[in-house]
Amino acid sequence: MAKKLVRSVWDFENEWVETVAEVPERLPEPWAPDRPLRVAGQKYPRVDGYQRVSGDARYAFDIQLPRMLHGKILRSPLPHARVKQIRAEKALALPGVVAVFTHENIPPIPWYGDSFLFDPHVRYEGDEVALVVAESEAVAEEALGLIEVDYEPLPFVIDPEEALAAGAPKLHDEGNLWNGRPNVYERGDVEKGFQEADVVVEDTFRTQVVHHAQLEVHVCVADWEGDQLTVYETTQATFSVQRSLASILKLPLNKVRVVNYFMGGGFGSKLGLEKQTVLAALAAKQLGRPVRIANPRKDEFLAMGNRPSSIQKLKVGAKRDGTLTAISLWSLGPGGAYRSAGAELGTPVREIYKCPNVRTEESTVYINAGPARPKRAPGHPQGTFALESILDEVAEKLGMDPLEFRLKNYAEIDQVRNRPYTSKYLREAYEAGAKAIGWYEKRNKIPGSGVGPIKRGIGMATQIWGGGGGPPAYATVEIVSDGSVIVRSGSQDIGGGTRTIVAQVAAEELGIPMDRVTVIMGDTALCPYGPTSGGSVTAASITPAVLAAAVEAREQLKGYAASALNVPADQLAWEPGRFFLKSDPGKSISFEEAASRLRSNMIVVTGARGPNPEGYTINSFGAQFAEVEVDTETGRVRVLKIVAAHSVGRLINPLTGRCQFEGGIIMGLGFALLENRWMDPNVGRMINTNLHDYRVPTMMEIPEIEVIIVSEPDTKANPVGGIGIGEPAIIPTAAAIANAVYNAIGVRVRELPITPYRVLEALGKA
Amino acid sequence: MKNFEHVDARSLAEASRLLTEKPSVAIAGGQDLLCMMKDGLLEPARVVNLKSIPGLSRIVYDEAKGLSIGALVTLSELEEHPAVRQLYPAIAQAAGLVGSPQIRNLGTAGGNLCQKPRCWYYRGHFPCLRRGGDYCSAAAGQNRYHCILGGDPCYMVHPSDLAVPLVAFGARVEIAGPKGRRSVPLEEFYIPPRVDVTRETILRPGEVVTAIVVPPARGRISAFVKFAERGAWDFAVASVAVVVQKGEDGKLMGGRVVLGGVAPVPWLAPKASEALTGSELSEAAFGRIAELALEGAQPLAQNGYKVPLTKSLVRKALRMAVNA
Repeated sequence: MAKKLVRSVWDFENEWVETVAEVPERLPEPWAPDRPLRVAGQKYPRVDGYQRVSGDARYAFDIQLPRMLHGKILRSPLPHARVKQIRAEKALALPGVVAVFTHENIPPIPWYGDSFLFDPHVRYEGDEVALVVAESEAVAEEALGLIEVDYEPLPFVIDPEEALAAGAPKLHDEGNLWNGRPNVYERGDVEKGFQEADVVVEDTFRTQVVHHAQLEVHVCVADWEGDQLTVYETTQATFSVQRSLASILKLPLNKVRVVNYFMGGGFGSKLGLEKQTVLAALAAKQLGRPVRIANPRKDEFLAMGNRPSSIQKLKVGAKRDGTLTAISLWSLGPGGAYRSAGAELGTPVREIYKCPNVRTEESTVYINAGPARPKRAPGHPQGTFALESILDEVAEKLGMDPLEFRLKNYAEIDQVRNRPYTSKYLREAYEAGAKAIGWYEKRNKIPGSGVGPIKRGIGMATQIWGGGGGPPAYATVEIVSDGSVIVRSGSQDIGGGTRTIVAQVAAEELGIPMDRVTVIMGDTALCPYGPTSGGSVTAASITPAVLAAAVEAREQLKGYAASALNVPADQLAWEPGRFFLKSDPGKSISFEEAASRLRSNMIVVTGARGPNPEGYTINSFGAQFAEVEVDTETGRVRVLKIVAAHSVGRLINPLTGRCQFEGGIIMGLGFALLENRWMDPNVGRMINTNLHDYRVPTMMEIPEIEVIIVSEPDTKANPVGGIGIGEPAIIPTAAAIANAVYNAIGVRVRELPITPYRVLEALGKA
Repeated sequence: MKNFEHVDARSLAEASRLLTEKPSVAIAGGQDLLCMMKDGLLEPARVVNLKSIPGLSRIVYDEAKGLSIGALVTLSELEEHPAVRQLYPAIAQAAGLVGSPQIRNLGTAGGNLCQKPRCWYYRGHFPCLRRGGDYCSAAAGQNRYHCILGGDPCYMVHPSDLAVPLVAFGARVEIAGPKGRRSVPLEEFYIPPRVDVTRETILRPGEVVTAIVVPPARGRISAFVKFAERGAWDFAVASVAVVVQKGEDGKLMGGRVVLGGVAPVPWLAPKASEALTGSELSEAAFGRIAELALEGAQPLAQNGYKVPLTKSLVRKALRMAVNA
């Protein structure tokens, strides 16, 4: 396949990534919206579903290698301290302990910019201090308790506002405020906008720290065969881990293989190389045996990331007729102890609604707590909660229906980049969602006017997100002589069903049944490059590459068909399942017969993902509607129904797509009502490092969920027409629930989670 | 978790002996014990299995003697037992609201009563009076879920759902140990922190709970209400059990109001219990009982909401009991 190099700019988790990408000279013909599809767009159960539910699937956690050793990480029990001395003699004397690694016998590998793999300056409870390697996990764990560490405690700060105060303990030389200044965005003149407004509302909103709480803890197994390193790693980023690990260990890329065939969730907490992976590789090399390191659940809470909390001061101005004149946002959030992920959340304010005057000022501070990491749509659920709450307040002041108010300020173009969207069906989402929830019939015209102690309410919120993906991304399609097909792509299926939709796209274009396609993903040694699974970019990045490869592979197979029929290839045409003679359609040869002519040959085609269209922004949009019931005596909020109406291009598999929405909505519900990281202010340690004090929703909390896809396939975005859905699903849920709670009780809760105590306090009962 | 030996006891006498020879703990369902051991809060040299002792897993109802619940009866057996459901609904309700189905299938009645505190400071290796520390971290820390009654110096809440209706029914606990058997009212089984902040129950080394005996129901009505933040797999923020009789005059008589989730022990509310007698079956009367039940509540900085919440649960439990 002929390829060329282009500059590729695309949206990854709100960051515009610029790379040089190799793309095909000729793009495959897009799957036009009116083209009937047999396999893609249909509900197919996951190709690996049986393996996953039967225990057959081998996760990184399950990997057991001969002579494998087990590592456990000793973590700082203090929020801020200096390690004066580490004595490992007692641990090393424990039978079964093989080695102890600390900053004294591990090279000072840079980490987080100004820190190290093991840094004697520990900056949060959970910071890595030492690694024990032993014959069993139990012995390693016991040995942790035998390592003696002298800490010199340092003053700590865990509150973001206190971290900014003069004289606050400083975590890094640069000071506690990232870059020494806020991130400021400005368009128009907000002061002028507020002067032009007839109504101005100003409020402060707060959201809590929440965790990824994915089922599979972080785990890796490092195995050396000579100078070849294989790492089995639970990761959303096999290629990125490979590159970082090779660079740190000073190995050629072709000596490092990263494997992740199955994964038990990541949600953004597994986007890059982990300290423990480097440690496992170093230890395995030195000890000459494979080393596995699996985190206990507690360490996941302490050290493996979180969605940062936020304080958001919002001010919104509008004219009497509902036209927005100005929005300003000031926000502050903690990035945790190191530079890992920021606390910015202003994209919804800047982009969802048409508004000429917008100013956002976002700050991230260091505090002595676990570093933040991107979590499913970083910034958006919290930013959307505040924005959509205050918009409802403004609408109420104006005496407008919240939906009407939003439609009045509908953004036809991307105002930040001043260009059109490839597709936007948000109006349709509003309409479909409103109808499905019963917006006009059920919503309380006067909030809180329901009779009796148990009150119902309806609320909604809007979502914007990227997910358009882009090159570079490759896939190979291999046709062998029995007509079966192997597809390889270097992304990974992190649980969303990527393997299944890849098979669907290949089966569709090759005109063969799904069970003739095998998909290999998540292995840097076997697969061509595919992107990190983050930012909802996987589907939109790799399925066009699969399509390109499939088209080309079929074209090559046509040559075999032509020789079998003894005609020139250009006289043959294709329809699903067979090649036929244009002049005599009755004369044909099936895909399998043509493939049988391959004998020991095989067709191997590498397809590349084409560039994104110039001059467009690719976004998903959507609206979620919530119906809730609030018990005003106990403060309990029960979500009865969520309607999720989204504009996401083509849904390649409505079944796995629905699962994505369910998962996102449930996670959003946990953010809205239940989940919270509790820190003790007096000692600076996290209190609820387990899954019963850290409450994720159970089946009992899960409401009726209705998913409506309102969009047409977006073939302007890419030839397959899909846009990512993993993150859009979670974004508006909490905001919709919060607005529904207000509609039910007539009192606004401006801080998440909306727990019983917050509701009772808001109602003035406690 | 430290290594330990696991021994099956074949009799109560053997269990007592095994438990006193070296630092040991007894295991029934193990649902709490495993957490305690994994968190490094208990590091026994020996775990003594009680499930190998015959005769401890029966539910027997006798009109004259009442209900006997063997210590090894599982919570799901208790929840589903016809006589318990019919005559002691509050007990069945409480058993059915513990944890999750998986926990109820393994967790036992005796084990549920002997749970260790669930205070996150106690479990999380923070400074804790109960664990020998100098102060209670909850007093000036994160205390949204801590007690509003009977605290000082320890502000834990008792984690058992089952104990709440059992105290309301006037149940007794049967205990076997190295010095023989004894039986105490359940409310005396628990030690308030003011008496001894380091012990939760009166069990002495080598002693185990063998059964819970509930007096005959004799027309008493009952209800249990639990409020937790989550619909399953969660401990009570507050709970209420009411056991009472409807007199022929249409008023209430006798009975008890017991609160869970708000005190370090299952909290028998004496004034509210007394006020049951002669009370009408009206919202106003239930409201007065609810006020009395929370009399003397002393919330900490963050848990004032538990007072109105628990009052609403008292009213709800009374409504449930009289309407059943």
